[in-house]
Amino acid sequence: MRRTIRTGAAALAAVLALAACGRDAGGGQEEATAVAEGKATGEITVWAMGTEGEKLADFAKEFTAENPEATVNVTAVPWDAAHQKIASAIAAKQTPDVSMIGTTWQGEFAKTGALDPTPPDLFKKDDFFPGAWDTTVVDGTAYGVPWYVETRLVYYRKDLAAQAGFPEGPKSWDDLKAMAKGMKEKAGATWGMNLQPGKTGSWQSVLPFAWSNGAEVATEDTLSFGTPELTEALAYYQSFFTEGLAPTALPDGALEPGFVKGEIGAFISGPWHMGIVEEQGGPGFKDKYAVARMPAKKSSTSFIGGSNLAVFKDAKNRDAGWKFVQWLSKPEVQVKWYQAVKDLPAVQAAWEDPTLSGDTFLATFGDQLADAKAPPAIPTWEQIAAAFDVEVEKLCKQNTDPAATAKAIQDQATAIGTGA
Amino acid sequence: MTSAPAAAAPARPVGAERSDRSAGPVRRRQRLRRALTGWAFSAPFTVLFLVFMAVPVVVSLAMSFTDLRSTDLRNPFAVNVVGFDNYARLFRDELFLRASVNTLVFVAVGVPLTIVVALAAASALNSALVRFRALFRVGFYLPVVTSIVAVAVVWRFLLDPEVGLLNNVLRVVGVEGPNWLGSTTTALPSLIVMAVWRNFGFLMVIFLAGLQAIPGDLYEAARLDGATRWQQFRTVTLPLLRPTLLFGGVVTGIGYLQLFEEPFVMTQGGPLSSTLSVSYHIYNQFGFGNYGYAAAASYVLFVAIVALSVLQFRLLGERS
Repeated sequence: MRRTIRTGAAALAAVLALAACGRDAGGGQEEATAVAEGKATGEITVWAMGTEGEKLADFAKEFTAENPEATVNVTAVPWDAAHQKIASAIAAKQTPDVSMIGTTWQGEFAKTGALDPTPPDLFKKDDFFPGAWDTTVVDGTAYGVPWYVETRLVYYRKDLAAQAGFPEGPKSWDDLKAMAKGMKEKAGATWGMNLQPGKTGSWQSVLPFAWSNGAEVATEDTLSFGTPELTEALAYYQSFFTEGLAPTALPDGALEPGFVKGEIGAFISGPWHMGIVEEQGGPGFKDKYAVARMPAKKSSTSFIGGSNLAVFKDAKNRDAGWKFVQWLSKPEVQVKWYQAVKDLPAVQAAWEDPTLSGDTFLATFGDQLADAKAPPAIPTWEQIAAAFDVEVEKLCKQNTDPAATAKAIQDQATAIGTGA
Repeated sequence: MTSAPAAAAPARPVGAERSDRSAGPVRRRQRLRRALTGWAFSAPFTVLFLVFMAVPVVVSLAMSFTDLRSTDLRNPFAVNVVGFDNYARLFRDELFLRASVNTLVFVAVGVPLTIVVALAAASALNSALVRFRALFRVGFYLPVVTSIVAVAVVWRFLLDPEVGLLNNVLRVVGVEGPNWLGSTTTALPSLIVMAVWRNFGFLMVIFLAGLQAIPGDLYEAARLDGATRWQQFRTVTLPLLRPTLLFGGVVTGIGYLQLFEEPFVMTQGGPLSSTLSVSYHIYNQFGFGNYGYAAAASYVLFVAIVALSVLQFRLLGERS
């Protein structure tokens, strides 16, 4: 008897829950509302991850000095927990005013309807790197602004490159291949090049080649991985493994010592690797290597990553939140932020500052950022990327046919959809 | 919930059932009051159970029949009911099938291996042959209480293809060991060995208790009949240890079917998904925001766990 009551109640609850279901057609553009004039007031709660989370509270003191009636309350959230924490906050409608958002999460969180559209009276699209701005746009509306960016370049050993016949570094796809070959055969490197052979995030190394070859790959409503351009890029990527120029199973943490010792001639990575190799290489290593733009095919296009800043619709102090974001987007503040945590500015004007333009390595990053792309901000991107990584791993380790790989990616991407 | 009648029972006079029929509203009110008292006493448990166990279970089951995604967080009821579509999709999902095979291999090899190793260790410790018994007992049990993260670091060093202890030992005898965690053929077996090493200590302690509960005179009688050690083990130890073995099998089976930590910290499911487990796949799907789909996969895993436990009860349970 008691059991039937319980099952009955459970069934009833389920039926009620299901009966209430049903999707709205939804979607489409959203209008941003203006932000009140004047200085920011009240308490602004901000969530930020990683180093940014640790350093932002101190950094924001300058903002509160300019806006004495405002206080900035920063909560540092570990990266591992951040996605879940923001998702829970959205579900409970207990969000902070402002949060740092990983660029690949933007589509998902914007689609929940929790993010406030960027007020156009405070921010100008053209102030930011175009690739970075695109990561904030969902269904034609920008939600938030880019905070800092990163992009990928070719790191190479100058001495090995000179012996291989490329003292100026690689300029084209053919150059990169020939340089890797020369480093291995003439300069005695064990591996001419290191490319990520699949696993998490390998799409960030592969897609720059596809984009440089003119492949569109994905937009907000179409997924086109089965193109000849992508197939060609995959074949090029694979050839480094089949020709024995790149390792398929480099142990974790072996890249940097290998590069310092000259066993690995070149690799592709973001700005953080400058600090790592210079620390491991010791004094003077800065002169032994250089960075170059992504080798060109039809273009020289790289990947753009980083983080955005978004304000929530459920924010208690929305206007002040946007004012804080606006302050963080000022070119001079972006330069100071770079000096504090080494985050590359997303605002183009900040790159004119000698701190950044004076450093040849950094200037190359700045140069590349003008031609750098990100995947579209769709909620299913991370899932598509995971499928992409699995197929790339097969491509690199099992020599699957590039066209078949492209098709396999396309089939899975189609099954996953754009989440629209 | 079961405490409700227990709380009410002592107050009920014997034979009350019979006299109830002729009783008027007074009696009925008394009965109602008793029932209410009973429920009130059991309320702390009932409420906690409903809020934290029953409701989430029912909600997650309902969720598995919808297309709920992380983008629906703000309006969780504005989703479509898709019936068994999630379940049908699961069995077409190559990665899920791959994960299921991996998990089944892990269970089919890992559970018997763990039981055998644990039983061997327990028997050895139980016999008079081994000195420093306490030391061994502690030593074998240590992996159980050690954090998986620390274990993973040590095992990654052990299995490292270049500098690892295992391959260095192999090199001494002239064998070039494989890249244990980096090869599709050896990654899953490596994890099985690691899981056995990590878990057999727990079963060993249970089995040791079971062995010590077997009366010594049975062995004495067997010896008088001329039974060898192996015969004693087969005809005395194993049958009497059956309930303990059943417990060990069920507990280990449940644990191993939910394989997650080992691949998560050691291989991230790779290489080429060769160590992806069902739980890991579910974790990934939740991460991708496919809440409905992931909930469906969880219920498939749940059914598999129940099925395995039932099977073990059938095979090892009491036979009358």
